[in-house]
Amino acid sequence: MEKKNNLRAWLYLAPLLILMAVFTFYPLINAFIVSSYKGYLPLSGTADEIDFFYNFGVILKNPLFKKAVINTFIIAGVSVPVSILLSLLIAVSLKSIPKLKGFFQTIYFLPYVTNTIAIGMAFAFMFHEDYGVINLILGWFGISPVNWLGGTASYAAQMIALLILTIWNGLAFKILVFTSGLENIDKQYYDAAKIDSASKWTVFKRITVPLLSPLILYISITSVIGALKAYNSVVGLFGDVKLGAQNNSMITIVAFVYQYKDGYTDKGYISYAAAASIILFFITAVISILQTVVSKKRVHY
Amino acid sequence: MADIYVSNVKAYKAKKIASNVLLYAFLVIVALTILLPFYWMILSSLKSTVQIEQVPPILLMAPSDWKITNYTDLFVLVQSGQRAGEPLFPFFTYMKNTVVVSIITTIGTTITTVLAAFAFARLNFKGRDILFAILLGTMMVPGEIFILTNFVTVYRLGWYSISNQTYLDVLLAMTIPFMTSVFYIFYLRQTFKQIPNELYYAAKVDGTTDFKYLLKVMIPIALPTIITIIILNSMGAWSAYIWPALISCKDEYRLVSNGLRGAFTDTSTGRTDYGQQMAASVLVTLPLLILFFAFRKQIMRGVSRSGIKG
Amino acid sequence: MEIKMANLTKIFISKDKKEVHAVDHVDLVIPSGKLIGLLGPSGCGKSTTLYLIAGLLRQTEGEIYFGEEEMSETPPEKRGIGLVFQNYALYPHMTVRENILFPLENLKVEKEEAKKRTFEMAKLVGLEEMLDRKPKELSGGQQQRVAIARALVKTPRVLLLDEPLSNLDARLRLQTREEIKRIQRETKITTVFVTHDQEEAMSISDEIVVMKDGIIQQMGEPQEVYDKPTNLFVAKFLGNPQINVFDGEIKNKEILIENMFVGKRDLPDQKVFIGVRPEGFIIDQENKSSFHFKVDLVETIGRDTTLIFDMQDDSINILDKKTFKAIIDAGFRIKAGDVVHFNIKPEKMHLFDINGTIL
Ligand SMILES: Nc1ncnc2c1ncn2[C@@H]1O[C@H](COP(=O)(O)OP(=O)(O)OP(=O)(O)O)[C@@H](O)[C@H]1O
Ligand SMILES: [Mg+2]
Repeated sequence: MEKKNNLRAWLYLAPLLILMAVFTFYPLINAFIVSSYKGYLPLSGTADEIDFFYNFGVILKNPLFKKAVINTFIIAGVSVPVSILLSLLIAVSLKSIPKLKGFFQTIYFLPYVTNTIAIGMAFAFMFHEDYGVINLILGWFGISPVNWLGGTASYAAQMIALLILTIWNGLAFKILVFTSGLENIDKQYYDAAKIDSASKWTVFKRITVPLLSPLILYISITSVIGALKAYNSVVGLFGDVKLGAQNNSMITIVAFVYQYKDGYTDKGYISYAAAASIILFFITAVISILQTVVSKKRVHY
Repeated sequence: MADIYVSNVKAYKAKKIASNVLLYAFLVIVALTILLPFYWMILSSLKSTVQIEQVPPILLMAPSDWKITNYTDLFVLVQSGQRAGEPLFPFFTYMKNTVVVSIITTIGTTITTVLAAFAFARLNFKGRDILFAILLGTMMVPGEIFILTNFVTVYRLGWYSISNQTYLDVLLAMTIPFMTSVFYIFYLRQTFKQIPNELYYAAKVDGTTDFKYLLKVMIPIALPTIITIIILNSMGAWSAYIWPALISCKDEYRLVSNGLRGAFTDTSTGRTDYGQQMAASVLVTLPLLILFFAFRKQIMRGVSRSGIKG
Repeated sequence: MEIKMANLTKIFISKDKKEVHAVDHVDLVIPSGKLIGLLGPSGCGKSTTLYLIAGLLRQTEGEIYFGEEEMSETPPEKRGIGLVFQNYALYPHMTVRENILFPLENLKVEKEEAKKRTFEMAKLVGLEEMLDRKPKELSGGQQQRVAIARALVKTPRVLLLDEPLSNLDARLRLQTREEIKRIQRETKITTVFVTHDQEEAMSISDEIVVMKDGIIQQMGEPQEVYDKPTNLFVAKFLGNPQINVFDGEIKNKEILIENMFVGKRDLPDQKVFIGVRPEGFIIDQENKSSFHFKVDLVETIGRDTTLIFDMQDDSINILDKKTFKAIIDAGFRIKAGDVVHFNIKPEKMHLFDINGTIL
């Protein structure tokens, strides 16, 4: 009976496991193997020699990779906290207007159902120095036009534009999740806080955030992982060739990996890509573990 | 002590009104910020070339001034060059490709997900928990690690060939690797687990097979979750960018995202036709928005649940 | 602080668009420094009344005064209220200390002073050893005491307790009940204590208020309400075992139950309900009384003996039930099957008209 049960279960799992074996587990293992080859040619499967550190050394010495890591860290480090704080504030504000909540929520959700490339292009045009709406609005406040994305745009300007797009894009999901998270908090705590004469800010800081902390932790981990993989928004704003106002000025780790995408016929290229993607994997893993450990002390359940 | 309670009701009311005004102002400004890109995209797509390059930009336009030439131009056939005879932006071809890929992937994903979720939720077998943990672990791995090896795999399977790639090859390459989702398995397994065990035992006593039980009992009960999975999954193909670009050897095999970027910039002059670009962006965004408004409740419920449970 | 409610009304609109009159034109004065028991069956509007006093709900109609001050426009945080919720609502992520300290922090009480008062309050409720625990590490009774400490620490003008003992076991209930009474005596804070347990209300309160369907039925000292109920509902709600209610009539100023004489009253002839407390029966040792029955069951607990009479086959109508009970002194040796003749103590017998109003 036990045996039969086992067999039956594997039968149900077969379609999944076969596909994953080929397209998930094999490439995962292969990435590690390939990253240890020197002069590897994927199509013929030949390599010059095995050297575990060679490709990592090449990548880590590459100034473009350094730039990609810095850009990626800035994107994750700014967009995640800002968007989490903003979406929390929005979710809490929505809570106090039950009647219009659904309406606003629907609007706020729209960025979730867009095509990142299409909306990235719309942003690119919004940030256009002469024809864009952003500089028009800034003009109302007496700020002179900024060159956001043009050929001579400053690093800060490009980065700000990219961050705004990233935050705009990520708000929808977080607002929705935090709103439902708030609905699950027992209303009695808020009644009790009123009786205890807590101000709105105190309620937010001392009641809402702690009670929501498991969810905030979860969302911040997934957001950091997502932000570390930033790519589509860069392509939307700058195109997949230039990757920045100046060539590669906004390159990210993922974009760095992808620049080897047409190099499958070139010797060793794919090993560089593998090494870079493994580094990304480790960064992701380390940051999420760190986040979990650090927050364990502050999360209350 | 008691004097801290003596309340100045008027001051309190004024403060309350002020804070309400602030609250609405905040929410409205956020809403406008969210809507602005959509507005700008649509408005720009309705401007003429002259209007679009006007400084300062036009922010409001009467409907009578709207022009649809940007849209019609997208479908004008290219006169010469590599793509002669095709529309400037072959939207319908891309749409068709995207829809086909989306449907095939979704069917495949749904099947593997339902079967696996059932096994994990209901069947006892050796190594179940370890296997499930390993699967969950793969969610942490960035997809970029897989992509180049997968490309080589697809090449070896004969689905990629610069000279004679067929439509079927492209479809296989774009769909087969994406027919699994650990996240949906996790999500559906939760729903399956909530179905009481008693039903399963009752069915067993009646001599119902597992598969029949899955079809006749579990799937109907879990249908809302499955529909959510179908909807969320079918939206995925719209955003797929890098893989379809990598795998399709001919322009006419690409998906909407790929066609969008890169077009509309005249390679010789470097000038971009923003009006056409925005019109194409509107066309690409529209199907998703229509889908969203048709299934608004389900999509929002599904997304929020997926966020909270995960 | 005296609390006055005038014409206080709260109407909820339920999901199916029906009006629920949770509190219905209530006029009530709660005297300063007293402990009032608010008593009534589930759903009668007790919690709603408390929330109206606290300001967590806004009344549909009417006014609430604290002393001379009308409170309708005053938000809960400015009313100076301590409230113990039906299920405590302790903040799960804060320790006992933080829970008790929280209101003081919000009222900007100076730090040292706040610490001192928190400790004193913890001591008052006997929790000074557990200040660093989280609520989920406490028993139900301990949690309940934290909730009381949190409500009391800011020396509120009014203390509201919403069925604070409902989650405790019988022994802890008694113990905590006494504690609440003691604390209230010591602090002299005007207190409203909600419960649906009549015995609890009777034992703890200076005065009780009986409520039904959002309407106040009666208010007074517990014994007085027990002895002089104004209607059948109050008579039935108070007392354990419950009052026995017989169908009867008045004929020529004589009170009759199924033609058996039980007393005299100067009233016109009519049908009446006759309520007799179980302790209102006196055994007529000379068997002269015409009011007699065969005993079906005898229960002796401690000093009291309870005689239970099954009226299933008899023509006598007893409201709601088919049995009635009489509590007699354990000195009488009576066994099942004996026929007992009774007299009824006039002060333990209440006559109600057919609408249930006292006569
Ligand atoms: N928010 C609400 N919406 C609609 N009806 C409500 C609401 N709150 C209470 N009610 C109704 O008002 C009536 C009184 O409710 P309340 O909670 O005051 O009863 P209670 O006396 O405290 O009962 P319990 O002893 O069960 O706590 C009930 O019929 C209840 O269904
Ligand atoms: Mg209640």
